[in-house]
Amino acid sequence: MSADKLPEHPDFLWRNPEPKSSYDAVIVGGGGHGLATAYYLAQNHGMTNIAVLEKGWLAGGNMARNTTIIRSNYLWDESAAIYEASLKLWEILPEELDYDFLFSQRGVMNLAHTLGDVRESIRRVGANRLNGVDAEWLEPAQVKELCPILNISDNIRYPVLGATYQPRAGIAKHDHVAWAFARKCDQLGVDIIQNCEVTGFLKDGNRVVGVKTNQGTIHTEKVGLCAAGHSSVLAEMAGFRLPIQSHPLQALVSELHEPVHPTVVMSNHVHVYVSQAHKGELVMGAGVDSYNGYGQRGSFHVIEHQMAAAVELFPIFARAHVLRTWGGIVDTTLDASPIVSTTPVDNMFVNCGWGTGGFKGTPGAGLTFAHTIATGTPHALNRPFALERFETGALIDEHGAAAVAH
Amino acid sequence: MADTQQLDTPQDIPRDLHGLRRSPASLLHEVFAAGSTGGVVELSELEFLTMAGIRVDPQSETATRIASVTDGLPAHCGDVTGGGTNGKPDTAVLWLGPTEFLVVAPPDAHETLGGTLVPALVEALADGQGQVVDLSANRTTFELTGPRARAVLEKGCSLDLHPRVHPAGTALSTEVGGIPVILWKTAEDTYRILPRASFATFLGSWLLDAMREYASPEVP
Amino acid sequence: MLLIPCPHCGPRDETEFHYGGQAHVPYPGNPNELDDRQWAEFLFYRENPKGAFAERWLHSTGCRQWFNMVRDTATYDIQAVYRMGEPRPTTTPPGGGSRATGGPTGPSAAHAGTPASPEGARP
Repeated sequence: MSADKLPEHPDFLWRNPEPKSSYDAVIVGGGGHGLATAYYLAQNHGMTNIAVLEKGWLAGGNMARNTTIIRSNYLWDESAAIYEASLKLWEILPEELDYDFLFSQRGVMNLAHTLGDVRESIRRVGANRLNGVDAEWLEPAQVKELCPILNISDNIRYPVLGATYQPRAGIAKHDHVAWAFARKCDQLGVDIIQNCEVTGFLKDGNRVVGVKTNQGTIHTEKVGLCAAGHSSVLAEMAGFRLPIQSHPLQALVSELHEPVHPTVVMSNHVHVYVSQAHKGELVMGAGVDSYNGYGQRGSFHVIEHQMAAAVELFPIFARAHVLRTWGGIVDTTLDASPIVSTTPVDNMFVNCGWGTGGFKGTPGAGLTFAHTIATGTPHALNRPFALERFETGALIDEHGAAAVAH
Repeated sequence: MADTQQLDTPQDIPRDLHGLRRSPASLLHEVFAAGSTGGVVELSELEFLTMAGIRVDPQSETATRIASVTDGLPAHCGDVTGGGTNGKPDTAVLWLGPTEFLVVAPPDAHETLGGTLVPALVEALADGQGQVVDLSANRTTFELTGPRARAVLEKGCSLDLHPRVHPAGTALSTEVGGIPVILWKTAEDTYRILPRASFATFLGSWLLDAMREYASPEVP
Repeated sequence: MLLIPCPHCGPRDETEFHYGGQAHVPYPGNPNELDDRQWAEFLFYRENPKGAFAERWLHSTGCRQWFNMVRDTATYDIQAVYRMGEPRPTTTPPGGGSRATGGPTGPSAAHAGTPASPEGARP
């Protein structure tokens, strides 16, 4: 729980190779999902002649901008399956990657503030248990016991009427996660190429055969898109559409404090989620800005609203200071569920739509997307998350469990 | 449902209904008085003003008929026609949108007090396209007055309230303290603030808080 | 915080507005004739450009009118404001010379009837 426990770092965790003229597969996007996909392609499917292209620096997009919450207490069977698989991978990854990225299973609470919240939450606890996800319903007194700094009095605007609790949920140190994957990818022979922006795709008929970049043309058998907020831009280059809207999502941290907040508290109703990072800063996330935006910045009133809610729920925070705020670009779908799918372009695959909750899905997305790329068909876990669901109507409506807070 | 069928007969309703009425911010009247500083900034609630919402295409004949009742309709954002400015308590019409207007009149313009405003508007509307709705209970009215009134508002309103761009006789739908209101400058240093009734106590408390610093002597 | 030029009320804070997503998406003339793909396109697929985007906004706290706006989703620069039902005006990308119809910050005089002062109030 303190800075001196952070692991030592060697100077370099991966090479910075020049791109080769061709690869068996190219992953576009060097964030968590892209790196995890490359790792599982190499580890599980023996595809080591592959490259991860990152237009900026490694893990500098949403992977550097999220609030690191990991949980799997989603409502529907399809979501519970993929997020729980992801959580189980989180539990073994520090050992598998030989890297302690400080995965801390300190539990996550989702507060209920209205009778409607209470009913929805208890229903979700039931659904979670049926799906083998650890979930409990907590009365306000139990909430207070787990997180003593929460204000559970009934004279606030949205009193705490209870909470769902997932003990195995938690947080991890996000950039260490990326470094862990990157180092292992590199050891397995994957080329991680930074400052390499994709500017177009080479196609032979309806089949993708290469990627045009600012570092030259790279021929490839297969392309996997892992570009989160920029997925629509890439899809347009490739000649197909995605049902994605990109929005700014903001978060902030306070200065460092002694440990005061032992768990993770989320409230969809008042749009705030809070944890305390290992170093001691309070990490808080807000809701998305309403408008489409690629600016990696949002509007101040969203932060203001979030702070008002946080201070009411945690009166102790009134004395904390905002150290930094920032924004990422989240790729939202209309059913608040991701897309891990084949595309209308042959040999091109897309992993996007994780919206405000991509971090927790990092290993699950990587595992299933790698399977999809390697075999050309979806893994059982991501089959429901195909693009076709928007035509068949088999939507996975996770607005209740996913909408704002992650 | 049995109990709801036991409706009061008209004889059961006290004759003096107006003595029983409570305005949305009535609980704050004492603190309004205590928090006001004469000659600096004062806050009060103007209770039970009569208000009627009008929706009509201003180019139509129906609008002409309605305008004859209200003494004109404002044409642009910010405009106010009729009285209500400079302390004249007459009927005024506020521009809310290109086809939407709010008539504000003294309490006794309401028919329960013998007034005729709403029936006259309904009569002018006749079968024309549009609507006239009695909105007297929708909003309440605060009056903030004094040399510091603008400074108080500027703590929670992003409009430029400088008299150069916001002269007396201007009414704008906007936000004060995060609450949607109509902000109506009736005279230099005097503002009417019209929140919906359910926001009245919050906004009243917010204004009091914003006024507090001006109750102390200014530190030179 | 965006400062949005309402065509009726002039520039106001973003908090007074409600976002309406992509503009110019007509309801299908005969929904029964659409196949599943076309219906999915209508329901779920919207443009998501990085750059100029025509979108709908509602001035919910002000004049309660919907209007259209062309805004750059990367720079958040507002390039044009125009009324519902009007076609999207041509706008020039940044650095491309003259500005779009409607001007970058003020409501179009032709649309607003009378030029509004900064907050829409006329002196």
